[in-house]
Amino acid sequence: MVAVKLIPLLFSWFGIVLVLLRGFSGRRVPVAATGVVGFALGVVGAFALLRSYPGELSFGIVRGVVAGVFLLLWGTAVAALYRNTMREFHVFQGEKLVNASFYAVIFTCTTSIIAGAVCTCRLPVTGGTILALLLLVLAAGILVLAALAAEKMLPASLTVSQPALMAAVVALLLFSASSLIRLDLFSPLSMKVMKFAHDFVHQFFESMLIPDHLFIRTYLWGYIGLLFGNGVGFWGGMIIWFTPVVLILLSIRFELLPSVAHIRQGAKRRKLLAAAIRERRIRLVIPLLALLVFAAAAYRSSYPSVEYWDPTPVPVLASPAGEIVIPKQGEINLEDGKLHKYLYKQGGKEARFFVLLNPSGEFTVDLDACAICKPDGYGQAEGTVICYYCKTLIPLETVGKPGGCNPVPVPFTVKADGVHIDALTMINTWGNTVQATARIKEGGK
Amino acid sequence: MAPAIIETNGLTRSYGDICALKPLDLQVPEGEWLSVMGHSGSGKSTFMNLVGGLDRPTAGSLKVGGEDLLMLSEDGLARFRREFVGIIFQQHHLVPYLTAVENVMLAQYFHSVPDEAEARSALERVGLGHRLKNRPGELSGGEQQRVCIARAIINSPKLLLGDEPTGNLDHKSTVMVMELLKELRAEERFTVIMVTHNQEVATWGDRTIYLDDGVLVREERMRS
Amino acid sequence: MLFRILKNSFLKRPKSVFLVFLSIAMGAAVATAFLGIAGEVSHKMALELRSYGANILLEPSAVEGGGFLREEDLPNIKTVFWKYNITGFTPYLFGVAEFSAGDKKERGVVSGTWFNKELAVPGEETTVQGIKVIAPWWDVQGDWPAAADEAIVGAALARRLKIGVGSEVATTARGRTQRFRVSGIVTTGGYEEEQLFAPLVTVQELLQQQGKVSRVLVSALTVPMDDFGKKDPATMSKDEYEKWYCTAYVTAVAKNVEEVMAGSRAKPIWQIASAEGALLNKLNSVMLFLTILALGASATAVSTSLMASMAERSPEIALMKAVGADRFQISAIFIGETLIISVAGGVVGYLLGDQLAEIISRTVFNSTISSPLWLFPTAIISAFVVAIAGSVAPLRRALLVEPVRVLKG
Repeated sequence: MVAVKLIPLLFSWFGIVLVLLRGFSGRRVPVAATGVVGFALGVVGAFALLRSYPGELSFGIVRGVVAGVFLLLWGTAVAALYRNTMREFHVFQGEKLVNASFYAVIFTCTTSIIAGAVCTCRLPVTGGTILALLLLVLAAGILVLAALAAEKMLPASLTVSQPALMAAVVALLLFSASSLIRLDLFSPLSMKVMKFAHDFVHQFFESMLIPDHLFIRTYLWGYIGLLFGNGVGFWGGMIIWFTPVVLILLSIRFELLPSVAHIRQGAKRRKLLAAAIRERRIRLVIPLLALLVFAAAAYRSSYPSVEYWDPTPVPVLASPAGEIVIPKQGEINLEDGKLHKYLYKQGGKEARFFVLLNPSGEFTVDLDACAICKPDGYGQAEGTVICYYCKTLIPLETVGKPGGCNPVPVPFTVKADGVHIDALTMINTWGNTVQATARIKEGGK
Repeated sequence: MAPAIIETNGLTRSYGDICALKPLDLQVPEGEWLSVMGHSGSGKSTFMNLVGGLDRPTAGSLKVGGEDLLMLSEDGLARFRREFVGIIFQQHHLVPYLTAVENVMLAQYFHSVPDEAEARSALERVGLGHRLKNRPGELSGGEQQRVCIARAIINSPKLLLGDEPTGNLDHKSTVMVMELLKELRAEERFTVIMVTHNQEVATWGDRTIYLDDGVLVREERMRS
Repeated sequence: MLFRILKNSFLKRPKSVFLVFLSIAMGAAVATAFLGIAGEVSHKMALELRSYGANILLEPSAVEGGGFLREEDLPNIKTVFWKYNITGFTPYLFGVAEFSAGDKKERGVVSGTWFNKELAVPGEETTVQGIKVIAPWWDVQGDWPAAADEAIVGAALARRLKIGVGSEVATTARGRTQRFRVSGIVTTGGYEEEQLFAPLVTVQELLQQQGKVSRVLVSALTVPMDDFGKKDPATMSKDEYEKWYCTAYVTAVAKNVEEVMAGSRAKPIWQIASAEGALLNKLNSVMLFLTILALGASATAVSTSLMASMAERSPEIALMKAVGADRFQISAIFIGETLIISVAGGVVGYLLGDQLAEIISRTVFNSTISSPLWLFPTAIISAFVVAIAGSVAPLRRALLVEPVRVLKG
């Protein structure tokens, strides 16, 4: 089961090694060796991190590193474009590093540490035994050997420029990370973009314009509304996501052809040019593949194949006073930040609800249904709950607030012994909500 | 004596039962101007096609410029033709819908990349600087043949093949074309093989071979 | 350079280029038009077919005695989940009666019904219901009954009674007699020709069955039955039931109507329902078949005209080969040529096809259609497919050209 989940990650590891070997073709053996060592280091490091700081922190660190690598790709892409379109551009500091002999080893080492760490994060926290780690490293090692063999079979003309290498490696790392909702970058990126657009528009209006101004016509509001739409986050995220590779592609496309003016014979001159153009086209292959991998990562991020935290509802009873009391501690720890589902039955009626401690440290009690959709319920994923019916992701912070596809909140009180809910209110809220959604659903068809 | 650019050993080409070229042993040194004479059906065009990589022999060996033409694939032969050989046909054979300069660029395009300035100067070199934008239909026979020459030499071939290049031209144009070829050869130093049945044209060469019914019957060296 | 070659080649040989372009454009146009109206045709055909009779029969369920439905429940039919799929319905109340006109006396069936009754349902738009709506093929000589004592008489019954438009018929049932003025004679080709049709209220009074109805015929738009639709709703899981209920199977609509008419049982009239479904399926496959046929024909046309121009161009190909073009370069030129023509042909074909679809739907169905967005890529892709399919053989031939033979002499 775990092994199956790791297949895409190991596959991208294979790709990473392949492209590294081709990128540093002069140093095949050191690169391969460094790859294995780095991967092992990454596995051990991530394991230690996960053990010492269980929970979000260590995932946050790994995700931060992956995000850093992505930013680095941005830098590389911009530099590459700049260098290839300007004739005189030698003062680029990184160039010295790139040309240094130890660069291949450093680059490979960093890459494989991150790859190893991402793979380790994919292992279930409890099941991450020493044996599993050993097997993982072993598999990685075998894949490195396989890559060594496979690299020889690739056509010799397929060359990889440094920016292209970077693009391919980052693409594969992001693809690996996208299989874990906690390491995934694309969805948080789109969400950030959306929030930024929201905040910006908000601030803009608060500071500059009075909303109901006479001169703001309705069509203008239509355009402003676009900024609030869901599309903004997605498309903004897409632009940020794909631009670096596109820039690298452009930089290769704009690479200057070798100067051939000194060759007197036209045929020879043209032959050289044709060869240069062909080589340039071949160098586009790897970044184009990287672009596909980026797209795959974004797709996986948008349609995650992750499993949601979705406990089976625990039946609860009301006290004679008509109160449902759920203890904070006991069989279920209410304060672990997870969704806890309960089922309350009264006569022929029943209500499904959940209790959740949201990130700001406050409890919230909500129906396992929203005011719009069929009551299919919610599952919890990293930082969000998802409505199973309409697949809307709802940030944990906003759970407990009414509206939209948010779960319908139920009034409650927190006392020292636990959370108190009025049973009748619960049943009635459920009844009203579900009846309403059923009616809306019929009318909508 | 310069090293041989063409080496044939028992070179044979037969079409079914008809043997167009009987086993032929021949060596052509680099830089030579060889005239091939004979009447229709004597196998002289077959010989030229074989040497130019347009046709494959049925037996024997054929090396041109160190390359064994029998070993090349169809695309390999195409590469050989565009990099090594320039061909001038009897009937000008230009692409009718392309202008003079585009016809020259076509050869550049198949060879590597087109370069209009170079194509233009090649046409100027053959004295057609004023007819760059004309299509073949608007050019006289001699002019068309000069476009063919410009196209044949544009990729700096080692070997220039002419299949009765002056067959359709009047005397004045013939002399003009031959003079041009002679000049270009002095500059570019390519080897020329010229198939003809015109004795006068043959005398422009260094050596003449006579083919009859696919057999080399006589060889004659010119004094110059 | 490739583009220069292509451009000049197009400009210098407009006729053969135009022929290929025309074949591709025609293929794309036909594909666009057919696919564009296919969906619409199914819909329109369903509507047309619907005018040939009701497909759901509501009868009193045998269990509950009395054997009548309540007239007051009828407006409910326009409030059900599938209300927009129900195009019309008509209640009937039957009774055996003695008809006498002049000296003739005949026994027959008197039916009370709605002819075209304006039905106001709270919260819904007012609609017209009755025989005129669900049985438009009834051929009435004279007029539809306008007053409460007017009736239309079936042609066969009228012959036996020797009456015509304007005659009077005395109808006796259960000892009560009602005189009707014949406003029209109806020919239907069915059992209706033996009956006398009068307004429901009058017949209810005559038969002493105030507010009662013996059966209701409902005409509803339905989707063809498939395997899933044939399942027994009782054995379905909750989700399956929901899906079934939300699909306009005739059984689902019948069930839906049954729920709002107290003491009723709804029966799909299978003959009509299944014939409709089969017909629509056949219609769709015929459309698809014709589309494929049209595309095949235009691919053949492309192939033929390319073949012809290939023969004409073989010196050119031979020359290119002699100058040193390899197979890839030759293919690039000819495939590039057909691809450019096919893009142009696809766009023009799409525009033509769109117009064609519009004309067809206007002349045949007397309505306009809006073409769906996916038709554009479909048109372009079908043009591509036609072009590629049509240029395989000519390209093979081009690659087989032997320069030596063609350039000879």
